[in-house]
Amino acid sequence: MTVKVRFFARFRELLGTDIIVDIPKGKVFSELIKDIAKRNREGYDTIFDEHDAFREFVILMRNGKRVELADAVTITVADGDEIAVFPPVAGG
Amino acid sequence: MFSERERERYKRQMMLFGDEGQERLKQAEIFIAGAGGLGSPVSIYLAVAGIGTITLVDNDVVEQTNLNRQILHYDRDIGKKKTASAEEKLREINPDIVVKVIDTTIDATNVDSLVGTADGIVDAMDNFPARYLLNETAWKKDIPFFHGAIRGLYGQATTIIPGMTPCFACIFPSAPLKEVVPVVGVTPGLIGMVQATEVIKYFTHDGKLLSGRLFIWDGREARAEEICIERNPTCPVCGTKNTTPQKKRKP
Repeated sequence: MTVKVRFFARFRELLGTDIIVDIPKGKVFSELIKDIAKRNREGYDTIFDEHDAFREFVILMRNGKRVELADAVTITVADGDEIAVFPPVAGG
Repeated sequence: MFSERERERYKRQMMLFGDEGQERLKQAEIFIAGAGGLGSPVSIYLAVAGIGTITLVDNDVVEQTNLNRQILHYDRDIGKKKTASAEEKLREINPDIVVKVIDTTIDATNVDSLVGTADGIVDAMDNFPARYLLNETAWKKDIPFFHGAIRGLYGQATTIIPGMTPCFACIFPSAPLKEVVPVVGVTPGLIGMVQATEVIKYFTHDGKLLSGRLFIWDGREARAEEICIERNPTCPVCGTKNTTPQKKRKP
């Protein structure tokens, strides 16, 4: 099945965006993001901490709806899903 | 009521908002937290639009490194308090409004009295802890919180209406890592304009607010997107508050 992963802002700079991946059924949300993020060490470290958990400020969306970080390790993605990974910015 | 001078000054926008809308702007009091990258364009445009009372709070001194983006401050202002520099410019930009400046750091002990009876808060801060504080204050006072933030060529904005939309803590339960943020002036310029537009729409009752949506600007790709945002029922700030329609809008 095919899903699209979109990174925003700093994540986009490090990992690219609109990444279309072909994955087996039953893929867990967080594993999918990890697989893609592993393409770039800095990108991975920006999204995940030293325990391979999402950094707590990361915002995850699936088809326009928020996915809680705690749920991302259990829920699976579905064919055609569009996933967004977004870092809030803090400057003014 | 408007003087002849005001009628002339606002003539072109009164074509949009009418006497009634312009009067609402005149009666409005906005609290702008920060006179930096976002606070500069927001306060300038709200001043020229005729927001009746602008209260601007900042505790910093103008530095050379501010001048690539903080367009309220000029080279000659280096070393001056940002509040003094801002007050001087805003009074010249529009002598028909009231400009109040407060030279202080916003913290938990003073935020309530600083915001006072303002009808809305513009987030022109550069850190999350201050934003959480202002968000809570906006909720307690039942007034809108116009959020904006930037980094490099990226920015985000949303309009938070207590009782109607998710609050800042629902959207961003955790702060991003602290850093010295790279920035070019056009980004706070653009996000500040989104915020100022929201303020004007809110007071004139014009258009559709950026509520329940997070606007995301990617200047590098020249792409604007938005994501839907939802209330967090367990939010420590707004989770237990009843959903009520906005009631602070002036009649």
